[in-house]
Amino acid sequence: MKFYVRRITFYVITLWAAISLNFALPRLMPGDAMSTMIARMGRSGDIPESTLRSIELLFGNPDESSLWEQYVAYLGQLFRGDLGVSVTKYPAPVTELIGQALPWTIGLVGLATVISFVLGVGAGAFVGWKRGTWVDSFVPASTLLQAVPYFWLAMIFVYLFAVTNRWFPIAWNYDPFSFSGPELSWAFVGSVVYHGTLPALTIVISSFGGWLLGMRNMMVATLSEDYVTTAEAKGLKRSRILTTYAARNAALPSMAGFSIALAFVVAGSIVTEQVFSYPGLGKLMITAVQGNDYALMQGTFLVITIAVLAANFLMDLIYGFIDPRTRHNG
Amino acid sequence: MIRSTGRQRLLSAVALASGLTLLAAGCSSSSNDEGNDGDAPSTAEARTLNVWAGSQTPIVENFNPYAPGVLHAALGGVYETFFVYNKVQDDPPIPMLAESAEFNDDGTELTVVLRQGVQWSDGEDFDAEDVIYSFTAEHVKRDWVKSVEAVDPHTVTFTFDGPQFTSEFALLGASWLVPEHIWSGIENPIEIVNENPVGTGPYIVDTVSDNAYTVTANPGYWGGEPAVSEIRYLGVDQNQTASDLLTSGQIDWATMFIPDVDAVLADGRLGYLNTPQDPTVLYTCANVDLGCEGPQTDKAVRQALNLAIDRGEINEKAFVGLAADISPTFALLGRDDHWISPDVESVSPQTADVDGAKAILEDAGYELGADGIFEKDGQKLELELTSVDGWTDYNDAARLIEESARAAGIGLTASTVTWQEFSDSRQSGEFELVMGGVVGTSVADPFQIYRDWFSGEYTQPVGEILQPGEWNFSRYDNPAVNDAVKAAAATNDEAAKQAAYATIQEHIVEDLPYIPIVINATQTFFDTSDFTGWPTEDDTFVFPPAWSNPSSGVILGKLAGQ
Repeated sequence: MKFYVRRITFYVITLWAAISLNFALPRLMPGDAMSTMIARMGRSGDIPESTLRSIELLFGNPDESSLWEQYVAYLGQLFRGDLGVSVTKYPAPVTELIGQALPWTIGLVGLATVISFVLGVGAGAFVGWKRGTWVDSFVPASTLLQAVPYFWLAMIFVYLFAVTNRWFPIAWNYDPFSFSGPELSWAFVGSVVYHGTLPALTIVISSFGGWLLGMRNMMVATLSEDYVTTAEAKGLKRSRILTTYAARNAALPSMAGFSIALAFVVAGSIVTEQVFSYPGLGKLMITAVQGNDYALMQGTFLVITIAVLAANFLMDLIYGFIDPRTRHNG
Repeated sequence: MIRSTGRQRLLSAVALASGLTLLAAGCSSSSNDEGNDGDAPSTAEARTLNVWAGSQTPIVENFNPYAPGVLHAALGGVYETFFVYNKVQDDPPIPMLAESAEFNDDGTELTVVLRQGVQWSDGEDFDAEDVIYSFTAEHVKRDWVKSVEAVDPHTVTFTFDGPQFTSEFALLGASWLVPEHIWSGIENPIEIVNENPVGTGPYIVDTVSDNAYTVTANPGYWGGEPAVSEIRYLGVDQNQTASDLLTSGQIDWATMFIPDVDAVLADGRLGYLNTPQDPTVLYTCANVDLGCEGPQTDKAVRQALNLAIDRGEINEKAFVGLAADISPTFALLGRDDHWISPDVESVSPQTADVDGAKAILEDAGYELGADGIFEKDGQKLELELTSVDGWTDYNDAARLIEESARAAGIGLTASTVTWQEFSDSRQSGEFELVMGGVVGTSVADPFQIYRDWFSGEYTQPVGEILQPGEWNFSRYDNPAVNDAVKAAAATNDEAAKQAAYATIQEHIVEDLPYIPIVINATQTFFDTSDFTGWPTEDDTFVFPPAWSNPSSGVILGKLAGQ
């Protein structure tokens, strides 16, 4: 019990620190939303003075209250679930923007991460099992794919499979030509899957090499363990040795990495979402940073922080359960 | 022990290749013929027009003409102005919700005759009450408008506290008219989303989603129901994506920079117009009195730099030959020619004049040092030119300027900064030279540039941030120019304005607080195989960009299928 209390206290303090940092960071950044917005609008031609006036009315009165008052107000808003109104995507509330983006990011990046993990670990186990044979060449091949800069890979894929050959759509999370919004129908689901395939494919291709390499190396190490030799000597079926004895043990470190990777799914894949005009959380984050949109920035960072902490917490609990050693200090 | 034999190396290659093949196979097997009516064959009935006006995903519902972030279709498509001014050529303004408008002799009164028989999309009549609301409501009223009164239901008189000839465009071409019977009941007009906007324009909002929003034809439009029954505005995050969508026939109207025009136009579907509007210049912090520092505060240095620059080369190499020649008077060549004084050079030099540049510096007391860079009083002539990292045309131009400046003995160094640094430096005046843009005027008259960019009233001392609406980044403050701007503002007489402009031009061409480089290209692409009614090279009746308002509304009202 003491273990759990300690962990929970630790996470509460971490969460508070993260929230406070989240409050401080945007206030340390240069530039204010009003001048940023005006300068950006000025790039696409003349700004009518009526628009200038609206912007001034809306954003022209910087908060004059003390930092402490702002901090208290900020915490109060957080507890009420009010993250403020976005400046770049005015007048949408930040919670609404994040609420809309999150499912798409989790769907796309989450699924891609799972596929990449399963594929990478599966292939890694196989390659490790067949170590020293021609199968080993999968290692450099997959690492090569991972070494290719992601944005380049994504753009080449768009060019080859969406522009030159029109097998896949160029952009979006579903077909805006056929659907005027998300709806509950098989056609819509099909459209979502169809639109998600190419971005997911690029994520999988560029990331499964890492899982494969890690798993393969663990597999090689595990296969030299005495219990594997024992299992072989007992005359167990080779497939049983592969799955139950070797792969199961070798996958433990990968599992730990996987839970971290899942937590970061929430951060989205900024480049993927940008290249494919996919309205996820990474896209929101970039919009916020570029537009000095503090409310949106704080909102996205908060969601990411909470996701990472939650995943870590969950992992701590599970590890404490699986491996009693972690429950005791030293 | 793994030995790398020839066979194994071959095998790795095979594995790699088969990996890629598998990928390709995976792709092809999952491809299918899912519906995509963007490619649908054209029929007699006009199909949906797909537009990219610059919106990015996720699209956020906002049809409030007073709120920032308002979606493009709202302005021009739903809400209209009295007139639409053509910023491409010197045409009389196109009457929209007004039939005519006239100033009194001293510019203190403006009488607007409204178009009759116009209805809001909810069926109410448009009349003087709506105009009065649209100009006197708390969030829109201007200090200098004393009163707005209805003479009769279709005539409105504005009274000002002084001559307001120069506000003609702001009042008649950039003020949205909204229905009084709806807006007067709204508490915070600038904060609402306005989901179902009621306007007088050719289109009515239909649906909104993350990726796109659609508008449908307004059957009661005063100009006749538009022939294109539906328009879809798409959200796209990158120029490259938009360009791909354009090439593959999924976008029909878009305005963006595309260097290789021929490739996009190859299949003959798209028409194309390049309407250069906005000047690219070097901002120079020019005014010592307001706190500027650096060699560029010396007029001779700016003049020498102006001569040393090879504009032809810059246009060719940095702007792919798509930019237009600039006039040092900042009047738009071709459109504003009659405003250019005969006493000044009308076009900036297109080739480098190294000897001329050196002569200017020598006359000003600079001496050429052993390293080929001028110096004065032991101080080397060295300055820094910044451009925003990632604005590749500006980065390239800055490097070319560095080369030609050094050839003329000016130790100019080009570097890149973030957008935020760029914005901060020009706002506060803490810079030497910056590659930047000037906002082109919306009417065929350079006045607004003279007032907003060159007059001393539109600037602040170095270290203080410019107010919204002030654009004089160079801190230029010349009493002669200030007076001439005031004189031009007080008259509607062409000869008197020309005289005032001649004074302004004489000074700014000599002082060069902004060193002119080129006029940026504005490239618009539009589908001419399924739609007619677009502006053309011969008849550019309005500025053609999809994002431009209210001019895009004029185009929307004219489009038809074929």
